[in-house]
Amino acid sequence: MRTAHAQKARRTVSRAGVASPGRHAQRAVRAASWDLRIFAFAITAIVFCFALALVYVSQTTALSVAGYDAQKLAAQRDEVRRQNSLLEVQSARLDSPARIAADATRLGMVRARFVPVIPAQPLIAKR
Amino acid sequence: MQTVRPRRLRLLFALFAVASLVLAGRLAYWQTFGRSELLARATDQVRSDLVVAATRGVIRDRNGAILATTVELRSLYAIPKRIPDRTLAARQLGVLLGRDPGPILAAFDSDREWMYVQRWLPEETARAIDALGIPGLGFLNEPKRLYPNDSIGAAVLGFVNDNGNGINGIEGFYDAILRGTDGRLVVERDPANRDLAVGLREAVAPRNGADLTLTIDLVAQTAAERELTSAMKKEHASSGSIIVLDPTDGSVRAIASAPTYDPSAVRLADPESLRDRAIAWPYEPGSTLKAMTIAAAINEHLVRPGDSYNDVGYAIVGGRKLNNALGKAYGPTTVTQILERSLNAGAAWVGQKLGAQRLVDYFSLFGFGRPTGIDLAGEVSGTVRPLAEWYPVDVGTASFGQGMSVTPLQLAVAYGALANGGTLYRPYVVAARRDADGEHRTAPVAVTHVVTPDTAATLRGMLLTTVDNGIAHNAAIPGFSVAGKTGTSQIASPDGSYVEDLYVSSFAGMFPADDPKYVVLVVLEKPDSRLLGTLTATDVFKGVAQDILRYARIQPDRRP
Repeated sequence: MRTAHAQKARRTVSRAGVASPGRHAQRAVRAASWDLRIFAFAITAIVFCFALALVYVSQTTALSVAGYDAQKLAAQRDEVRRQNSLLEVQSARLDSPARIAADATRLGMVRARFVPVIPAQPLIAKR
Repeated sequence: MQTVRPRRLRLLFALFAVASLVLAGRLAYWQTFGRSELLARATDQVRSDLVVAATRGVIRDRNGAILATTVELRSLYAIPKRIPDRTLAARQLGVLLGRDPGPILAAFDSDREWMYVQRWLPEETARAIDALGIPGLGFLNEPKRLYPNDSIGAAVLGFVNDNGNGINGIEGFYDAILRGTDGRLVVERDPANRDLAVGLREAVAPRNGADLTLTIDLVAQTAAERELTSAMKKEHASSGSIIVLDPTDGSVRAIASAPTYDPSAVRLADPESLRDRAIAWPYEPGSTLKAMTIAAAINEHLVRPGDSYNDVGYAIVGGRKLNNALGKAYGPTTVTQILERSLNAGAAWVGQKLGAQRLVDYFSLFGFGRPTGIDLAGEVSGTVRPLAEWYPVDVGTASFGQGMSVTPLQLAVAYGALANGGTLYRPYVVAARRDADGEHRTAPVAVTHVVTPDTAATLRGMLLTTVDNGIAHNAAIPGFSVAGKTGTSQIASPDGSYVEDLYVSSFAGMFPADDPKYVVLVVLEKPDSRLLGTLTATDVFKGVAQDILRYARIQPDRRP
């Protein structure tokens, strides 16, 4: 880049016969300034890309961690559901009339041979 | 300074150029033609394609009590090479599993890399083993069908085999509905076999099986099984069955069959016990069928309850002599008394009035000779021979339930028609199914109208007299009107003759007699009491009926 500017300056000098040293310096400074700008832009782009990549990696990692957490929670949920099903079965076993009858027999109880039922109508009639 | 010869440089360049070309070519190959293969290999290392099993539906009784459900139980597996002290591990497992440690140790010492130690462990046992913390042991969750009431309702429920297929009963008939549709999960996994949140993920959710609510009442079912078990023990009967039916819509409240089995441990069951005798055991109904013969004759206005004939102890039909039980003669006898005294000669007299054609037609109307269509797997049809195969004597024998076979359910359904005013309902067991689309309730199906409501009412009155004054007096329940009929039938042997001194005792009853809410049929095969087996059958009926009356809070319709 710098060489191109120098050649351009030389061509200008040869056309004009004598080159002004102030203008040459100004042009060199301007060229150097452009170089700096381009360099800064490149550095900024690289830093930006790096930052972007860093953010991407950190977000992806966070997502993976969240995914693992979600899996753990899903496993806990499934286990709680399983335990709930087991408790339902246990409850059904305890409610089973056959089990209650067997336990009652073990406790020495016997079935009532006759259960008297008092019809409601005569009582209502008396009132 | 020594310079490198251009020839060597060219050679080196050529070598690099060739190497570069080869590498570029190889790279181009893998990027184009070999791409899919590479991709597949890479994907296979991280991808898992799993079948997500659908959960089998829950079966509940009419009040919501769980009769069958599927729960994931823990199965214990071992990787023997990773167990540091196999002898100690086998000893500890033997204690907790209640097994001999020897076979466990032998299995550990075999060359197997992976093995089940025991599948479907009780939760407490699994926890205790887990607490031991033995390296090389692990657990897998596996679905297991559980029946919280053990053998109660086994005949109606059926069972699920180790492959997850429903066999017999509800499990067999509704297998496709209960099992649902499996889903699929394709996901990428890390080396620790955990799902990756980012990356490939395809999921088809499983469609769980529908839950079924039955018409079965667990209390009535338990009462029926208790009474049947008791009678079987008392009479040393070879088999038996009880059916409790709601005659108003054909819904079945209980089906008990003996011998029975535990659906959770089918491997230990006698194969014969897997047969639901209520629907898959045809037998000669005997005198319980007299009610149908007389109902047909009354419906055809051929006889009335008060019509009489002279009973001489037998009837001659088709040149054959058909005797009353014990050959007893009763003289002038009304049609009602035919039922009260259970007279074969009287039934044959009514049958002759009816004629073979109408008798067969009515048997068909009552549903004999074809399956009832109940929603249970394994139903058989029974046998009513076509009229072309009848001998002249058959019109007499068929009138009192010989020479034909019915299933207990067919007979219960026929009595249901007499109980509800003459409509034959298709019996059913599933009241509703609930799936992702909501609840679908079963509508009762009236198959046909067999007799008029007047005929049905007349028959109920005659059957009430049979219990109050007749042969079925033992079935009377204090405070309630009961209508019913006993039956004692002989057992046909394979050669066509009857087996000596072995009988099937039965009783079909309904209560309250004026407006029956329940029909109960009891059948006992080969009771020790022989001809007196009907007494045990009526005892069983009373035991079941009293429990149901109390539980259903049915008001007494008589003074005790």
